[in-house]
Amino acid sequence: MSTKEIVREFISHEMLHDSRETPINDEDQLIESGIIDSLGIMTLLVFLEEKFSLQISGDDLIPENFGSINTISDLIDRQLRR
Amino acid sequence: MDFTFTSEQRELRKAVIDFARRELNPGVIDRDRIGIFPRELWEKCAKQRILALPFPVNLGGDGFDFVTTVSVFQALGYASKDSGLIHALASQVICGIQILLFGNESQKASLLPELSSGRLIYAQAITEPGSGSDAFAMRTNAIKEDDKYILNGSKTMISNGPVADRAIVYAMTDPRKKALGGTSCFLVSKGNPGFTTGKPMEKMGLRTLENGELIFTDCQIPLTSLIGREGQGMIIFNEVMEWERTLIPACLLGELERVLEECVKYAKERIAFGQPIGNFQAISHKVAIMKMNLELGRLALYNVAHLKNQRKRAALESSVAKLFISESLKQACLDAVQIHGGYGYMTEFEVERELRDSIVSTIYSGTSEMQANILARLAGL
Repeated sequence: MSTKEIVREFISHEMLHDSRETPINDEDQLIESGIIDSLGIMTLLVFLEEKFSLQISGDDLIPENFGSINTISDLIDRQLRR
Repeated sequence: MDFTFTSEQRELRKAVIDFARRELNPGVIDRDRIGIFPRELWEKCAKQRILALPFPVNLGGDGFDFVTTVSVFQALGYASKDSGLIHALASQVICGIQILLFGNESQKASLLPELSSGRLIYAQAITEPGSGSDAFAMRTNAIKEDDKYILNGSKTMISNGPVADRAIVYAMTDPRKKALGGTSCFLVSKGNPGFTTGKPMEKMGLRTLENGELIFTDCQIPLTSLIGREGQGMIIFNEVMEWERTLIPACLLGELERVLEECVKYAKERIAFGQPIGNFQAISHKVAIMKMNLELGRLALYNVAHLKNQRKRAALESSVAKLFISESLKQACLDAVQIHGGYGYMTEFEVERELRDSIVSTIYSGTSEMQANILARLAGL
């Protein structure tokens, strides 16, 4: 699975608390729509760091990096390339 | 994992225990009665370098690792009966960790030396009159205008607030966004026009810790007051809470250890029906639960301390430590009063103060209910 697929699957299965019929899109705004909230960001960070064996800290911990499946995947790919 | 203290940690703890018993405990009943922050004892603690422990040497600190810092604060909680003062010290260190993690190089260089020396007192300001557990329903806002932010709003029940020289303040910077992305973190200094502090609020326990209001009325602060990036406030808050929910429970675990020892001593000395009351299971089982919780709490505490020492994420582990240790301490203090009987209710025996001090531990730094919410979410609900 690609990074994007892993992120999409986690958010679709673990963070969506409504029974939406349309699947979540990669560019959907996760924070503005309330899919990622204060507790949600903790859950997501725990998942990402465990799944990809990395640590996200400092300047990478900005809301823009968690705004959509695309930005989260980009962040992970950047971290994995370091 | 091996949580055994190193010889250096054992020596530090012994020195801190001797210091606290000698310097911090005399007069604590009177200080609690009056409800005043003991600044001279704060300064003695600062001279002992307690506030400098985890900060790099080149930034005015002593460069100890976080596990050592936690072990020293556990020792302080154990030896010092002045829990309010210990909470004030821990609050200062947590502000410093926040600056260390998210401040820029200039902020670290200018702020951490004054913080770790104890010369200036810091407070962290999140809670508002209308937002406690839902911290990010906050109404304090910071509007950017040219080369400054204009801060308006108020914070309440802020630890160290009435005596603070500087405050780390959370405010909404973009109300159109959700709290995650719309909140930022600022440093505001005493004397800044538009920034005032209220009188200490009277409270049930931790009476030597001063809590009060911070009021911002068209308070202009420079852009360089921003800690981290604009919009990063909630993420900074979440990160800092992991450290806070490790350091504060260290103090609480030390208190639990002291309460247990006091109960064992009393249960051996107090005779009823011709024998020490410790012989009765009604007493000994209470003591057994305290001992069990102390041992489990120690594992929970040093598990999270080691994770944070490696800068690893510990949302789950810090909530476990905070929830378990604070609830264990509160129950232990209730049982301690019961074990001491009528004497437990008397000020002179100091058990009633332990109980009053412990009550708020399941409220501050995220209530037990909020810790349970975090754990439920991390469990998959």
